[in-house]
Amino acid sequence: MKISILFGTESGNGELAAEDLALSLADGHDVEVRDLAEVTVEKISDEALFVFICSTYGEGELPNTALPFYTALSETRPDLTGVKFAIFGLGDSFYTETFGHGSLKLGAELEELGAHRVGEFGRHDASTWEPVGEAAVTWFAEVLSSMRLASHPG
Amino acid sequence: MQPNPTLAIVGSGPAGCYLAQTLRRSLPDAEITIFERLASPFGLVRYGVAPDHQGTKSIQAQFARLFERDNVRFAGNIDVGSVVTLDDLRATHHVVVLATGLARDRRVGVPGENLLGVFGAGQLTRTANSHPLEKPTLPPLGRTVAIIGGGNVSLDVVRFLIKTPGEFAGSDVNDVALEEYAAAPVTHIDLICRSSPEAAPFDPAMVAELGKTPGVQFTSLDHSTADGTTSVEAHPAALAALLPSTPGGTPRVRVRLHFNATTTRIIGMDHAVGVEVRRPDGQLQTIPAQSVITAVGFDCDPSDPLIGDRGASQETGYLAEGLYRTGWAKRGARGTIPENRHCAKAVAAEILEYLAAAALPAKPGYAGLPDAVHDRATDYAGWLRVDAAERAAAPGNRSRKKLPDHAWMVATARETVQK
Ligand SMILES: Cc1cc2nc3c(=O)[nH]c(=O)nc-3n(C[C@H](O)[C@H](O)[C@H](O)COP(=O)(O)OP(=O)(O)OC[C@H]3O[C@@H](n4cnc5c(N)ncnc54)[C@H](O)[C@@H]3O)c2cc1C
Ligand SMILES: Cc1cc2nc3c(=O)[nH]c(=O)nc-3n(C[C@H](O)[C@H](O)[C@H](O)COP(=O)(O)O)c2cc1C
Repeated sequence: MKISILFGTESGNGELAAEDLALSLADGHDVEVRDLAEVTVEKISDEALFVFICSTYGEGELPNTALPFYTALSETRPDLTGVKFAIFGLGDSFYTETFGHGSLKLGAELEELGAHRVGEFGRHDASTWEPVGEAAVTWFAEVLSSMRLASHPG
Repeated sequence: MQPNPTLAIVGSGPAGCYLAQTLRRSLPDAEITIFERLASPFGLVRYGVAPDHQGTKSIQAQFARLFERDNVRFAGNIDVGSVVTLDDLRATHHVVVLATGLARDRRVGVPGENLLGVFGAGQLTRTANSHPLEKPTLPPLGRTVAIIGGGNVSLDVVRFLIKTPGEFAGSDVNDVALEEYAAAPVTHIDLICRSSPEAAPFDPAMVAELGKTPGVQFTSLDHSTADGTTSVEAHPAALAALLPSTPGGTPRVRVRLHFNATTTRIIGMDHAVGVEVRRPDGQLQTIPAQSVITAVGFDCDPSDPLIGDRGASQETGYLAEGLYRTGWAKRGARGTIPENRHCAKAVAAEILEYLAAAALPAKPGYAGLPDAVHDRATDYAGWLRVDAAERAAAPGNRSRKKLPDHAWMVATARETVQK
């Protein structure tokens, strides 16, 4: 299975998580890592599992670098039926009202357009000082095992 | 291109760290050294960002990778310009980049700034963060303080002054300074902002955070209106939420937010006794205060041996052949941590272009510097010893207790401290 990791970041934590995750998957998977700033919505298809890693800025907004992608999604409204994605959000629980809202918005938009989310919504909280790369790797292992369970029930 | 270019970055704040990160991606074999005046890396992440904003400080974990995994050398305790000259660095390295930030409190530019009792926000926030070259405790502020400036640093200062020690749980605040301050805290704060409530530069999340401290009464005075009042509804949401419709009980601290008030002078004979502001209609008004804190940004001391009186540049990081600058030292003291990442990418592109085009002579890099530099420098392992010592010393409700003294930090880094 091809895995395409797309990150949206402003201060670089999301990129680090994406790189660490890619490194952990390099053995046995066909993995690519790309910056959402350089990805067009046409790229999203059913030919890979898309892993979105995205932080939150402003008052619960997406990072600047991911805004063009997000805006294009909501404006062109492509049909994403058949697309599978997993999503991992970075935020800071210090922002109590908007914790992780950037990735929540992105995930909601993808689902709205017909894409199917696999696994749990991943979350990283900057206030915990938990290494973001490790958190992403642990989360994605769960995503993969939930996919295996789903395809081979029992 | 030179097979193994040697690069020296001066300053280990966000600007220097993001630059090293970007350069390393394109130059896996280059020698990259970050020179830093202190024995600890990370610049204002450690010594500017508020001690009760640990989530923001956690960006250190990303920068730590440079030294732990990406083979970037940390040379601490090296003040470039005194311990080693810029010429020495340039003679030994193909590229030198100044990422030294801007540490001097910008002057408001009004009469009275040199009076006793006038302090810069940079000084206060360094003290709150236990900067090893700053005063260990706050200056005497009295009971009434006027703060000039309406940015996030100004709000960091307000928050520090209104919170009680118990409200700093989980932080790495300078407890020596905090406890001394808490024995006689400020009871009145006048925050003077020249813009309107809508245009004030502070971040709404930072305004909202002020409302979490109990016992504080906030009022707003919009000087553009005849009687200085504006309905709460006319304020942006975060501010409106701060202003109670019915003040209850006697507040511990009163904070008055002045908008559309331009500071014209600081009043006093020897010691400041207040601030004079001009309203939009031209009328002058006096705001009494026992001390004044200026929080109107940062700039460079023109006598600084590195950046000197060169102004900011939004266009290029280029200074001279093989010499560049990035971060606040390039753009001026504007912008948050992420903006330095963006800036680093642009400056790195300039540097890579230079390295690709030029036929460069061999340069020895770090090894070519005088022995005195090698003997003096503290390394990344040394910083990890400081880090461990600080965490171990933290009381239960704090994340760390910073070593407040440069010599002590250096000795800890070198393992010459008696345990
Ligand atoms: C009080 C305050 C609070 C802030 N809070 C936030 C916040 O909450 N969130 C946010 O995103 N941004 C915040 N910022 C902004 C952020 O800190 C800056 O964007 C960023 O630190 C600028 O990075 P820099 O590397 O250019 O400068 P700095 O971080 O200042 O780093 C410069 C480094 O160079 C070193 N140095 C200087 N001169 C020499 C020399 N001659 N030789 C060797 N080393 C030298 C210094 O010791 C320092 O380590 C805050 C700024 C301040 C002042
Ligand atoms: C100005 C600013 C605003 C932020 N706003 C939010 C927010 O509303 N909600 C949230 O969960 N995190 C917020 N954060 C925290 C970031 O999402 C968090 O630091 C994250 O690790 C950054 O990841 P990145 O480096 O990939 O951009 C904010 C951070 C900054 C600097």
